[in-house]
Amino acid sequence: MDELEAIKVTFFQECEELLADLEGGLLAMQDGTDDGDTVNAVFRAVHSIKGGAGAFGLEPLVRFAHVFETLLDALRSNEIPSTQDLIAVLLRASDVLADHVSSARGLGMVDDAVSAAMAAELKAWTDPSYAAPPAPEPGVPVEAAAPVPFVMEPEESLEDDDLGFDFQPMTITIDEQAATVFQAIGDAWTVSIRPKSDLYRKANETALLLRELARLGPIQATLDDSALPTLEFLDPEAAYVTWTVRLETEQDEAAIREVFEFVDGDCELEIVRGEAPVDQALAALLNPVETAPAPEPELTIAPPVVEQPIIAPPVVEAVAPAPVSAPAPAAPPVAANAPAAAVAAKAQQIEVPGPGQSVIRVDPERIDRLIDLVGELVINQAMLAQRVGEYGIAPSSNLAMGLDELEQLTREIQDSVMAIRAQPVKSVFQRMPRLVREVANMTGKQARLVMDGENTEVDKTVIERLADPITHMLRNAIDHGLETPEERKAAGKNPEGVVRLAALHRSGRIVIEVQDDGRGINRERVLSIAVKKGLISPEIQLTDEEIDNLIFLPGFSTADKISDVSGRGVGMDVVKRSVQALGGRISIASRPGLGSTFTLSLPLTLAVLDGMVIDVAGETLVVPLAAIVESLRPKAEEVRPLGPVGAVLAVRDSFVPLIDVGLTLGYRDTSPSPTEGVVLLVEGEDGSRAALVADAIHGQRQVVIKSLEQNYQQVEGVAAATILGDGRVALILDVDAVIGLRRREPPRSADPTLIAAE
Amino acid sequence: MTDQAPPNITGERRELISFRVGQQEYCVDIMAVREIRGWSPATALPQSPGYMRGVINLRGAVLPIMDLAVRLGMPMVEPTVRNVFIVVKADDRTIGLLVDAVSDILSITDDLVQPTPDVACDRVRNFIRGIISLDGRMISEISLDRLLPEREAVAA
Repeated sequence: MDELEAIKVTFFQECEELLADLEGGLLAMQDGTDDGDTVNAVFRAVHSIKGGAGAFGLEPLVRFAHVFETLLDALRSNEIPSTQDLIAVLLRASDVLADHVSSARGLGMVDDAVSAAMAAELKAWTDPSYAAPPAPEPGVPVEAAAPVPFVMEPEESLEDDDLGFDFQPMTITIDEQAATVFQAIGDAWTVSIRPKSDLYRKANETALLLRELARLGPIQATLDDSALPTLEFLDPEAAYVTWTVRLETEQDEAAIREVFEFVDGDCELEIVRGEAPVDQALAALLNPVETAPAPEPELTIAPPVVEQPIIAPPVVEAVAPAPVSAPAPAAPPVAANAPAAAVAAKAQQIEVPGPGQSVIRVDPERIDRLIDLVGELVINQAMLAQRVGEYGIAPSSNLAMGLDELEQLTREIQDSVMAIRAQPVKSVFQRMPRLVREVANMTGKQARLVMDGENTEVDKTVIERLADPITHMLRNAIDHGLETPEERKAAGKNPEGVVRLAALHRSGRIVIEVQDDGRGINRERVLSIAVKKGLISPEIQLTDEEIDNLIFLPGFSTADKISDVSGRGVGMDVVKRSVQALGGRISIASRPGLGSTFTLSLPLTLAVLDGMVIDVAGETLVVPLAAIVESLRPKAEEVRPLGPVGAVLAVRDSFVPLIDVGLTLGYRDTSPSPTEGVVLLVEGEDGSRAALVADAIHGQRQVVIKSLEQNYQQVEGVAAATILGDGRVALILDVDAVIGLRRREPPRSADPTLIAAE
Repeated sequence: MTDQAPPNITGERRELISFRVGQQEYCVDIMAVREIRGWSPATALPQSPGYMRGVINLRGAVLPIMDLAVRLGMPMVEPTVRNVFIVVKADDRTIGLLVDAVSDILSITDDLVQPTPDVACDRVRNFIRGIISLDGRMISEISLDRLLPEREAVAA
């Protein structure tokens, strides 16, 4: 059972990749950047999902995937032309398919009505008769006259449950009947299929193969059950039957062979041009299996025969094949041909952009462990360097030079290890087209998402937390940024708005930009709303930029009416806070009538942090650089007492509360005068500023973040710990908590110079 | 943890590491002990109870150090280089217990463990699983899972 669960997990992982391929392919088709193989790749993605889902008995998923696949198949065989409308439908169908996958996984539910409507829409595309009065399918004429026991018609089988556990009873013709009455119109082929039990085990099914064949042209299928043992000897899991199919098609052998692409190796296949008497074909197929169970080629290909008269294929293997006077290379025996063909088929498969190729799946914990170890290596190396320095060894000595090399290697290892965990932002970006479609639908706007820099890499720890801010920003851009199509037309713009989502590296950080070409921020309205809601005082004069940034204030919302999408006033301030929690910053630039751009900048990793190393009351602390606005040495006249115990620092006309870190954290009971130390001007997540007083600054350093909670617990005022070059633990200051502590804690001393009080 | 089996299960021999805290002898199950190291200065933790000496770097991991004497209600003594800390695993956390010295390894069966007498104060009773009498010595077995403060309680 556990094993099955494990396989299921893998299946869902693959589903994710397949869904991504599917959407990617469809988007390429939408943009017209697809090539001939794109539609095949898209089809294969859906087919593989269906196949896997079948193996796990995920009925609703299979059923939907099946309808989807049928349409894709019709598209791929050019039965229906590829249009923008169709691709839009397919994209929405891919969303529903994704829902089905999530639901099968136990995450979320599928809206049955939506799914059913989508399925109906898909069916209507393949089969106009599904929605409209039935019309004969052009490609598949129904041969009423022919004594066909089993005519496969796609339309019929569509209704069937695809799992095929409920086979419809089929009549079986006697051999001689099948051999006789064929009308020789078009090019006739004889295809013999002898499934191996593996075929069924992999949730494939001959009925599907027959249906695929039927797409190529009218077929007549004959079942040979002569190998079927009596019930008592019957192995329920074994395969006994053989199909012989007479197919009329314009397509070539490759097209027929493609039908069997997914069962390659799982069935014995023989494709002969012309109309082989069924019994001979069968004999050809069965004999080698029965007489020579030795190494049999998985795929047997008879050399094509030129003349159209009925010619039996050369008997394979058992007898030395008669040289065939045909374009095919005469001499090589069929058996020798087969592996080559199999190789060819394999080679074809490798081109498929399937999952798992050239990619190793590694448990992320192993990588995390590696990163920890490298972190230790870096610390050790720094300790070693410090010791060597203490012993006064000349920098030109071999030891010092060796140490330099070690340092370089260590850095390289660290970079490479971090690169292992780095992932392209694609995994987040690829969820966005769907979001844009849905939001655009909901708001009645036309939006096109343009993505750039999907391959920009960033650490896994950051990736996981990018999705929320981007989602918010995109929603905001469509809901608030873009105008309705009518408004856009009136403004002389393309009714379809463009939202651009881009990722890039800039100075050691990752920058995400969300840009729309909408109306831009209506500053007058923003200002009046902010004043009305009491967020700012009406007298304040603000620059355009400052007004734009008002939208990040908590409780701010400009939407006229609250929509489902955004407009509850919890949007942008939440985004800002979550971004700042990651050590990032967010800003907005807007041009009225031309649109707005949100810019989000984040550190590349959450495993290391750029910090300022400071000294407080004999303890070494690290302050995250992202929080620091500036550092300065205060002059006596800039420090002003406020109230009995408080003090503020005058910074260019504004007053910032002074906080002694040592006092707040309880390292000392009285604080020295701020003029003796250094002041770090910091900005909290909510934008509030404070001046942290430290004794000394040791400089800027990149530190490896270590959790305190793992072995102890969260400590107020401390974000995490790190290990410095001397091997000692230093605490990383949680700037917001320190500001908060000052507000809450009662004053500990009556020292009027400085305080923690309100 | 498996080594925290109730003391009344008899038969199985267990090994304990005994150590001195002040003038008293205590012990912990040897299976919980990861290593024993000499004292090195710890980085103080703000907003923490007095028995938390701070954190040190143990091969790249941040290890909290608990002063066992203070935890057991004895006065704090400034540790010297002769002090050691015992690295133990309790629940899923690894901590260091600062003690005066490690004395020896005992091999006992659970029937040697007597319940803690009523005379002790509640705090001590809480941390002690039982008392072992051996060669005229009295050794108290520490209940490790009760030593560390509850995470939730403090975080709240």
